[in-house]
Amino acid sequence: MFLDPDSKWAHRLNPVLFLLPALTIYIVFAIYPTISVIEYSFTSWDGISPDREYVGLANYTRLFTDKIFWEAFRNTFVWSGVIIVINVGLGLVIAAMLARVWKARLLIQTCIVLPVVISPMAVATIWRWMYQPSGVINQMLETIGLGGLATPWLGSPEIVLYALALAHSWSTIGLSVIIFLAGLQAVDEDLYEAAKVDGATPVQAFRYVTLPALRPVTAVVFILTLTQSFKVFDLVWATTKGGPIRFSEILSTYMYKRGALENQYGYGSAIGVSLLVIVSAATILYMQIQNREDR
Amino acid sequence: MMKFLAFGAAFGALVALPSSLLAQTEVVVWVAGEPGQTTIYDELADTFNADNPDAKITVVKNSSDLFNPALVPALSAGEGPDLFTFGTGPGQPAALIAGGLVADLTDSYYEHNWGETIPEGIVVQTSSDGKLWAFGSEVETTGMFYNKAIFAEHGIEVPTTWAQMEAAVAKLQEAGYDTPIGLGAADKWPISHWQSMMFGRYAGPEGIEDVLFGDGEWTDAPFVAASAKLQAMGEAGWFGPTPVAIGYGELMDRFWAGEVPMTFTGPWVIGGGIEAAGDRIGDYSVFAVPPFEEGQKIHPTNSIGSGWYIREGSEATEIAVRFLNSMFLDTKGRVALLNAGTVPVGPLDDALAQAEMSPLAVDIWKTSDDHAANGTVPAFLDTITPGSLTTVSYDGLQALLLDVMTPEEFTSEMQSAWASSKAAGEIMLPGGIAER
Repeated sequence: MFLDPDSKWAHRLNPVLFLLPALTIYIVFAIYPTISVIEYSFTSWDGISPDREYVGLANYTRLFTDKIFWEAFRNTFVWSGVIIVINVGLGLVIAAMLARVWKARLLIQTCIVLPVVISPMAVATIWRWMYQPSGVINQMLETIGLGGLATPWLGSPEIVLYALALAHSWSTIGLSVIIFLAGLQAVDEDLYEAAKVDGATPVQAFRYVTLPALRPVTAVVFILTLTQSFKVFDLVWATTKGGPIRFSEILSTYMYKRGALENQYGYGSAIGVSLLVIVSAATILYMQIQNREDR
Repeated sequence: MMKFLAFGAAFGALVALPSSLLAQTEVVVWVAGEPGQTTIYDELADTFNADNPDAKITVVKNSSDLFNPALVPALSAGEGPDLFTFGTGPGQPAALIAGGLVADLTDSYYEHNWGETIPEGIVVQTSSDGKLWAFGSEVETTGMFYNKAIFAEHGIEVPTTWAQMEAAVAKLQEAGYDTPIGLGAADKWPISHWQSMMFGRYAGPEGIEDVLFGDGEWTDAPFVAASAKLQAMGEAGWFGPTPVAIGYGELMDRFWAGEVPMTFTGPWVIGGGIEAAGDRIGDYSVFAVPPFEEGQKIHPTNSIGSGWYIREGSEATEIAVRFLNSMFLDTKGRVALLNAGTVPVGPLDDALAQAEMSPLAVDIWKTSDDHAANGTVPAFLDTITPGSLTTVSYDGLQALLLDVMTPEEFTSEMQSAWASSKAAGEIMLPGGIAER
């Protein structure tokens, strides 16, 4: 199958041959559908008719005047912002604390990472049950004397988005912690020793040693969290379907409603492409800021 | 030698015979339902398969949420099910028909005398351009399910006037029931059951038809009044302090557990209720919501929830039709449907004589029959109107309950979506099939 390593073309063709199976799968299941969605976004298509009418940029201009799109757009940014703060910020703090804890570390680590392997639909079911007005969370608040804080979590327009973001973070923060932990293990202990000799407090050591050393890892966690949070669909759909009204409508649920439920596949595709552009732009922007600071 | 030849011939015949008999045609049938959950269609398919060795019906279930999004691409790819259930009426199937994805069933209608079973009113909703596109098979209704034990405990009689209804709710609230009428509005669609019933009560059957098939508008006075009434009931706490925070599943659990005294729903909950309530199922019954206003009539809700379509180009059309006949025309199938709480279209006398319907199912249909002479209205407007209107209705109904939208704004948004769908030609204009 592969060329003789000594042959003239081997060093050029063998890597390609090795890559071919994975590349084929990637092209069929990622590149081709993406290109198709971009193509559909320039059409008016109900997803059924054999003919797709080319409408140019009409779907994109419609986005600008669609108030629900902008509601979903705003919600998506709030949603992602909350998740990034929790997964990157809290994830880093938890990892830093875990790195210093030896007793029961494996147990704590397992507890934090376990939700990552639970299917999103199961996560949705668990949290939908917990967030019921008579659910576990409100009951717990009553028990500890904080009954005044009990609220209809999924029925409150002001709270629902944050409540769902918390549920999403619960199920994904474990991955951030693991990546940060791996990064922390690579930090040279001599740097901490030197900081200690210079009289640095643990907080100062964290600020001036840990954080700079973890910059590349933070970038990875940030981008992973960002892309993950933008493409969430199942958790929101299975709990609120974007409600109450549209207070938890994010771009992915809006895309599904317009495309799959209302048979506006062209317009739904335009929403999908806008989502792709936003995530790509945010990622590039973040990488550029990182690179500039590194220089 | 002769013996040997005879044995050989007999053996050859035996080998050849089963192979011809075993040449089965598979008919893939898609129905809405939770995967893994048994429905009556599994039982009907098993019976059909046993009676028809040349056919194999395979029933595939998909949850309601995902059913249409999975069906449409499958049909478009020419690989969808041979037979499937889908919405009827002026909204949802229009695109499937226009796209040439469903078969014309007019020939089968005449060949198998479907007209003797399917009422004309249902044929009107499943046909266009003189052709029949779906077998409108079942009748659905909705009613107020209530806990007789709770009513008796608090000395409440079944209300027949709105004043009595208000008194009953007040008494239940005083007794500590924070949710006198369960709604499960977090899932949005349960509110549309109230909407369909109330729109029908306020506008009457003619008023609804005028919008669906005529020049009527959702902004007409009866629809605004109905929306205002629903909002007022929500504000008065009839559906509990936070109806939009509770999902339908959780609500039904509370209803069957005896924590919620009433809920407005349909016969499809009876199977789950028997499982959940066990011996206490006798505590439950159904009544018709009393007229909301003085002089208003009770119009029972009556809909064909969905119709059965055959994919255009299916190679199993003949067997699919045979399966439809066995389910909805043969007495055995009709009895099985009735026993499962599903009411097939057409005259029921023969089937009812053999059926063993649950008392709750009998109650709800009796409630419906008692007022049928007043004319019926659709039970599920959301399944017979286009998807874009459904989205607007669902969101708007939650907005009404949260008091962030006025009834006028709600009906105006509905009308706007309806007008857009009409302009885009997403509305089928039914009208019966051509006479032969």
